[in-house]
Amino acid sequence: MEDSPLVTDALRLLLEETGHAVRAAGSVRDAVGACASEAPDLVLLDITLPDGDGLTLLDELAARGIARPTTVAMTGHDDPDTRQRCLAAGCVEVLVKPVPARELVRRVGEWVR
Amino acid sequence: MNRLEHPQALEARLDALEAQQAQASRLIAELQARDALKTQFLANISHDLRTPLTAMITHAEILRDGILGELSERQRESVQAIINGGRQLLESVGEILTYARGAAGQLTLTCTEFSVSQVVEQVSALNESLVAKKGLALEVDVAPDVPPIVADREKFAHVLSNLLGNAIHFTPGGGRVWVVARLVAGDGGPSLLVEVGDSGIGIAPEHHDLVFREFAQVDSSASRRHHGTGLGLTIARKLVELHGGRIWLESKLGEGSRFFFTIPRVGCT
Repeated sequence: MEDSPLVTDALRLLLEETGHAVRAAGSVRDAVGACASEAPDLVLLDITLPDGDGLTLLDELAARGIARPTTVAMTGHDDPDTRQRCLAAGCVEVLVKPVPARELVRRVGEWVR
Repeated sequence: MNRLEHPQALEARLDALEAQQAQASRLIAELQARDALKTQFLANISHDLRTPLTAMITHAEILRDGILGELSERQRESVQAIINGGRQLLESVGEILTYARGAAGQLTLTCTEFSVSQVVEQVSALNESLVAKKGLALEVDVAPDVPPIVADREKFAHVLSNLLGNAIHFTPGGGRVWVVARLVAGDGGPSLLVEVGDSGIGIAPEHHDLVFREFAQVDSSASRRHHGTGLGLTIARKLVELHGGRIWLESKLGEGSRFFFTIPRVGCT
């Protein structure tokens, strides 16, 4: 979930070329819809989104009784408070942007396993 | 001047002065408003600049890592150059954003307790390859009695990184740069004193204040062009002062430079 089409396209290319099926959502609403229609193995969540804090996705899913997928937060802020907030909301990991392509591929491979 | 003027003339003069004062106040208010607008613009534009940059770097990394097919050595070098350029741009944009936030009083400290030597080592490691490339000697010395400090780790690292980067940049090959950290006594309690020094080209005393001012760059040689935003030291000073510390410099032309900054041991309230 990421609101910039440029970044979404780059990540989609990266992840599809390394063997994953990718769906993209540009808002919490769209993301909820995507998770409801077909449960993803992994959600990469950009926490700064136009319709509010991306972390609310996890609350929204819980409120609708949708099982929480493995979720990794992506943020531009490298500070312990943001990290804590993401982990407390239910993310398994917090990545600080920009994430080097190599590392992202490696870690996605770990999480999807 | 004849002070015994007609009261009406004095009245007129007083009126004129008050009018001028009112106009000056309006001008100040307008300038402040414009300045605030500019700062906000800088903060907004930074996000718009960083997003496409990040996407470009990701694409370049995809190419470099052979994900879309193996590259020749030359091709890989070229793509790596794109990545390096992109990262440099990202850094400059980040600096502009930090500067704008600092100018608007929007910077806040996120304080944690951390080990000074750990951060010093991290920052040094990041600069290792450049140090090696220039054939410089980098000495790091964190006194054993320096305890963990409570401060904004990211901002502390940023200041250190900026000073060390400058030291490396302005020191010709074969020279020395160093980072020394000590605990010193102060009236508000103990403080961390960090010195980042070099045996480089030095800065003339008349420029010591100038180097901390935004956009100012001291060019000691007509042929030398310095890249960068000219904001590094301005930001460093802002970040140090946010912690209640001080930053200053000792240097003479041709005799190297030593930048000092203090962080009160508990730099956050």
